[in-house]
Amino acid sequence: MNLPSASSPHKTKEIAVCVRALGLTYTTAIDRRPTLKARVKSLGRGSKQTRVIRALDNVDLDVEYGQVLGVIGANGAGKSSMMRVIAGIIPPSQGRIEVFGSVSTLLALGVGFNPSMSGRDNVFLGGLAAGMSRDEIADHFQEITEFSELGEAIDAPMRTYSSGMFSRLAFSVAATVRPDILIVDEALSTGDAKFKEKSLNRIKELRSDDRALILVSHAMATLRDVCNDVAWLHKGKLVQRGAPDATINAYQEFLQLGKSAAIDEDV
Amino acid sequence: MSTPLQVYEPFKAGLPPLVRYWKSLWSRRRFISEYSRSELREQHFDSVFGQLWLVLNPLLLSAVYYLLIIIIGGASDALRYAHLTATLFLFYLVANSLTGGVKSITAGQRLILNTAFPRIMLPISAVVIAVFKFLPTLVIFFIIRSVLGLPYSWQMLWALPILLITIILALGLAITISCINVYFRDIASFLPYLTRTLLYLSPILYEASALKPALRSLQVLNPLFPILESWSQALVHGQAPQGSNLLAALAWAIGVFLIGTYFFLSREREFAVRL
Repeated sequence: MNLPSASSPHKTKEIAVCVRALGLTYTTAIDRRPTLKARVKSLGRGSKQTRVIRALDNVDLDVEYGQVLGVIGANGAGKSSMMRVIAGIIPPSQGRIEVFGSVSTLLALGVGFNPSMSGRDNVFLGGLAAGMSRDEIADHFQEITEFSELGEAIDAPMRTYSSGMFSRLAFSVAATVRPDILIVDEALSTGDAKFKEKSLNRIKELRSDDRALILVSHAMATLRDVCNDVAWLHKGKLVQRGAPDATINAYQEFLQLGKSAAIDEDV
Repeated sequence: MSTPLQVYEPFKAGLPPLVRYWKSLWSRRRFISEYSRSELREQHFDSVFGQLWLVLNPLLLSAVYYLLIIIIGGASDALRYAHLTATLFLFYLVANSLTGGVKSITAGQRLILNTAFPRIMLPISAVVIAVFKFLPTLVIFFIIRSVLGLPYSWQMLWALPILLITIILALGLAITISCINVYFRDIASFLPYLTRTLLYLSPILYEASALKPALRSLQVLNPLFPILESWSQALVHGQAPQGSNLLAALAWAIGVFLIGTYFFLSREREFAVRL
């Protein structure tokens, strides 16, 4: 599972992710907290405990190495679900996904962090959670702390951090993983304007011919800037796929928002 | 075209490829230890008083139960106290695995939703934490034992395989209950009653040999019974445990472990949407 590897370099245009006829239906509990009590109470009444949600419907998508694919769509379009399926977090209900390389996900920041530990300990904890080895983290430790601009605060417990400091450190750890395929889900809008630019630059650095990047974002200006391909999902279906400008324009027209400030700002 | 590194397809109920699963789990052993360590630290067991509490808590417990034995009129000699502490401490290894394991999946929601890793890691680290809490109490037991002046013997080495069996059982129980808790969240509040009942049904406040024959036939239903009886025989009395007890304990432990693991592994891919 998504271990970073110093694997053989992949060539541009070689296939990285191949999604075929992907369908995803969840069965989730209606109750936030399904309980035995509720189940016993509803025995014999025949009321349903679960409901089925159709998150993705017959999606075909290929990502090649060297591509930076932006994924856009309204809330609930199935963007995050698709990222989770590609990362192997949720199994698909129909279809098939083939992944040709190591996958790393940046779906949320600070996964695996423990606020009662120091920033230093959390660098290791978060790095291990992301699938790095201890030695790899130790090698990159200097780089991580410098990038996070935390200075001496790195040895203070994380519960004393401001939210900006927290996400700066979290992003710095996450951005150190060097996978073949990186999936980023709206995790870039962290910290102040300066740090935002810095993290955007880091993502640009990660663009290379032997890596595939998938970015989920609502920040259209950023996507126009960074991506060389954009896919638009709507209600679980792939609506359009193609050159960034064309796809984003079509999406914005669809939203009837045009080029308004609200969707241009923010990373 | 090269072969895919990972293929994800709709899964049928059943096990994931076990060899790959094990490799993936093994490659994350450092994460398991680091994760357990951070959980322990969160419970303040890295501070002096935290560790002192780790030792004080079972000591106070054993004192309370010893008082109880004296009041309800059991034999109250040195051997009895040693038996009580030895079995109580081992019992808490299992009980702590259960209480730590029950919420391990539901509390690891953020991890589960955002990273792909073998989910079984979470209940395993709950057991690792329980073992770390158990080790200092073992030291305390040996101090108590020396103070009470009980003789040492080579037969006490039987404690090692018994401890191993206990850990396998604890793993099996933690894995099973963490999985059940995903579907029925009220199991966690029911758990204290379960462990309390187990405590009284196990030969802790009494010696197994003191039990009425009619009640002894019920012991086959309690996986902890043969374990605790053998543990006390080896560590307190310095005798070799009965082979039948060891076999029963091993059968229980492996049975619970295999069934629980099968149940967990065939379900774990759906945890992400159930949380």
